[in-house]
Amino acid sequence: MKKLITITILISVLIGLGTVAYAAEEVNLYTNRHYDTDEEILDRFTEETGIEVNVLKGDSDQLIERIAREGKNSPADLLITADAGRLHRAKKREILQSVESEVLNENVPANLREQGNYWFGLTVRGRVIVYSKERVDPAELGGYADLSSDKWQDEILVRSSSNIYNQSLLASLVSIYGEDWAEDWAAGVVDNMARKPQGNDRAQATAVAAGEGDLAIMNTYYLGKMLNSDNPAEVEVAENVGIHFPDGENGTHINVSGAGVVKNAPNRENAVKLLEYLSSASAQKFFASANYEYPVNPDVEASELLQSWGDFEPQNINLTELGIHNETAVKIFNRVGWQ
Amino acid sequence: MQLLKNIKKGSPGWFLLTAVIIVLLLIPNFNIIINLFGEAGENWEHVKNYLLINYFQNSLILVLASGFLTAFLGAVLAWIIAAYDFPGRDFLSWGLILPLAIPPYIGAYVYQGMFSYTGVLQTFLRNSFELSLNQSYFDFMNLRGAIFIYTIFLFPYVFLMTKAFLAKQSASLLESSRLLGKSDSTIFLKIILPLSRGAVVAGSSLVMMEVLNDYGVVKYFGISTFTTAIFKSWFGMGDLATSVRLALMAMLVIFVLLFAEKMLRGGRKYSYSTSNIRPLSRRKLEGSKKIMAQLFSYGVFFFAFLLPTVQLIYWSFLSRGGELMETLYFGLTSFLTGGGAAVLILTGAVIVATTARMSSGFISNLLARITILGYSIPGAVIAVGILLFMLQLDQVFAFLQSGFGIEANIVLSSTLLMLIFAYTVRFMGIAFNSVNSGYEKIGENYFEAARTLGKGVTETFFKVDLPMLKPALMSGFLLVFIEIMKELPLTMILRPFNFDTLATKAFEYASDEMIYRAADLSLLLILFSAVAIYLITHRRKRREK
Repeated sequence: MKKLITITILISVLIGLGTVAYAAEEVNLYTNRHYDTDEEILDRFTEETGIEVNVLKGDSDQLIERIAREGKNSPADLLITADAGRLHRAKKREILQSVESEVLNENVPANLREQGNYWFGLTVRGRVIVYSKERVDPAELGGYADLSSDKWQDEILVRSSSNIYNQSLLASLVSIYGEDWAEDWAAGVVDNMARKPQGNDRAQATAVAAGEGDLAIMNTYYLGKMLNSDNPAEVEVAENVGIHFPDGENGTHINVSGAGVVKNAPNRENAVKLLEYLSSASAQKFFASANYEYPVNPDVEASELLQSWGDFEPQNINLTELGIHNETAVKIFNRVGWQ
Repeated sequence: MQLLKNIKKGSPGWFLLTAVIIVLLLIPNFNIIINLFGEAGENWEHVKNYLLINYFQNSLILVLASGFLTAFLGAVLAWIIAAYDFPGRDFLSWGLILPLAIPPYIGAYVYQGMFSYTGVLQTFLRNSFELSLNQSYFDFMNLRGAIFIYTIFLFPYVFLMTKAFLAKQSASLLESSRLLGKSDSTIFLKIILPLSRGAVVAGSSLVMMEVLNDYGVVKYFGISTFTTAIFKSWFGMGDLATSVRLALMAMLVIFVLLFAEKMLRGGRKYSYSTSNIRPLSRRKLEGSKKIMAQLFSYGVFFFAFLLPTVQLIYWSFLSRGGELMETLYFGLTSFLTGGGAAVLILTGAVIVATTARMSSGFISNLLARITILGYSIPGAVIAVGILLFMLQLDQVFAFLQSGFGIEANIVLSSTLLMLIFAYTVRFMGIAFNSVNSGYEKIGENYFEAARTLGKGVTETFFKVDLPMLKPALMSGFLLVFIEIMKELPLTMILRPFNFDTLATKAFEYASDEMIYRAADLSLLLILFSAVAIYLITHRRKRREK
């Protein structure tokens, strides 16, 4: 009998654990970001609005899968994730909803949000060419097309094609030049690789400094992180490489990290409020600089470091295109053997 | 009739509880396997045409090489520790298990960070001697590097099992061989290795499963394997059917390998004709042999534990210790979650193992197979099976609530309970094996005596079996605890709001290329696991004395 009572108590405790207590005003945020400054921004949002923010952090793709599987019971209100290709994927899985908001339309330029307002960019990064200051004259560098030319034989360092940043870069080229051109280009880059794709973006810059190749393809914010690294050797590497914004034909490939309100958001209004807050001038500065990125809000200036890198011309496409051509890009990579 | 007899021996309550547990374990797996019977995913053709051969090759190389090297390293070290005596031997007998405390993905980040162009070694050589090294010698981010990482951080599985096996072997075999003038290396190769083949293979098959399911290391190194293909087609292409197909193919690889090994071994079994076994006595090593044994064992300990730990301490120092309170908070979360879940898992394992003991060989074999199922499928794949199951349960609750007009709103998905259930499905096999081996040691005599004296099954269990099982329960608990501390994919996918463990937080920082911030989190994680290992080994020692 005593055992029975113990078991009953145990079970009730477990069910109690499982029951979510619903607070009055809250918003549930699924995010892939994990910067300490984010906590401050969210705390300020709570202070100003009285809305509690519950955060669930995770790998972007897995968060999307989780929301999709949770379906109409999902507690998720707002999804923040990096890369337009991924945001498009979320939209395609029907987990986002369209949001009409004056504030958002004003804060986020049209090409940095989804055409039907299913998601909105929050921060901007460029995918640029990093070169050895010792061995490369930046005047020799051109646009992305130049990377497949013979003069860079065995000189290019780039990470694996399973990475979404590369997929979105290729998708942008598919969108601008068409599939055949993009496939030739990808094959040309594979021929020019200094080594098999390995490691992350930082590893590519390090390999340039170490002399394994002259050029690396990487996202701008990684260079910012390296310059501010705790490891003095990494700072040195970052100082020894130059940054080149691909120009020529069609500008530099840019991408965003962004957010969308979840389709079955139980706290839809609060989610929109949070999204608007994140795009506002007061939050943008910190939100973007936490990760050494450019703010989307045209009223906000980029951090000094980013300004010191100079201005650049972005590719002239709506970022929705990156998602539309993602699958084509992935298949091209597999066909040309870009690991 | 046989079955009926078996059930009579047991009691219906135990069987019922076991049945419930088994159903709970099976449903998530079933949710996954059912995907096989639908039509092939749209991307299957593409994956098959362009990716499969390369992925298959890489996975096979990784699994075979790591399996073979851990078998070699683990067996040799177990032999040195079991058969010889030299200064430091007592420490190494548990110190060599410590590498298990370091999750391979953290080991991978540490080694890459240490030996890369910006790492301690090369920076030192460059700045002090202006010496630039050829990068390709220090490149860990390839198959070779991954095999190295898996080998040094996973060999303790083989070491543990082989050492335990050798400790039970008779001294007379060894003494006879020595009398017959055989050298030690001949004895090792001709007698010890064939004799302990079962234990070595059991250990290295655990290693092979871990390698096949590992995601952290291969993702960081950019190596395409089955697991990356599973993630690519599922998360990248949103195609669960294709990824399940790949997961099952991966399992098939392991089964084929194990089956092949079993065929090669044939029906050979070794046993002693006398039950009076005098355990192996250790021979004291002198001179050059002593130095060689020390050099080798300490060398392995150095590279597999000491060096990465010291590097982490240095990094933690560079990042000025990070946020101490935050680290401790995550530590507490990990500790409580791991400890609580391990208690639950052990309870389940005891129920199942007790039932297995009361059942026929067939049923108890079947139970063992079912409990290990969760361990052999990639964690991320199981996670989805669990999520689906919990959502189904929520719907049942919602239905019941509307039917009976109950106010309480019960939601199980997205709660800690879901995560703990996921741990249960994944690690039940480990707990079951510990409890089962405990039962094997006890034998059936006491149980039968108690039953003959008119005690019921349940009373016998609490009064006779449970007290004797305690050591096995303790080591089972600690093993499961270590696994949960290191666990990544399930926690990443299924955790509730505002929930972080040491492992997830360290992985976040590391994959965000902030390895220095991950350092103190990793150190605390390693400390927890190391203490658990210390407790396991020293309980055993005390008992032996």
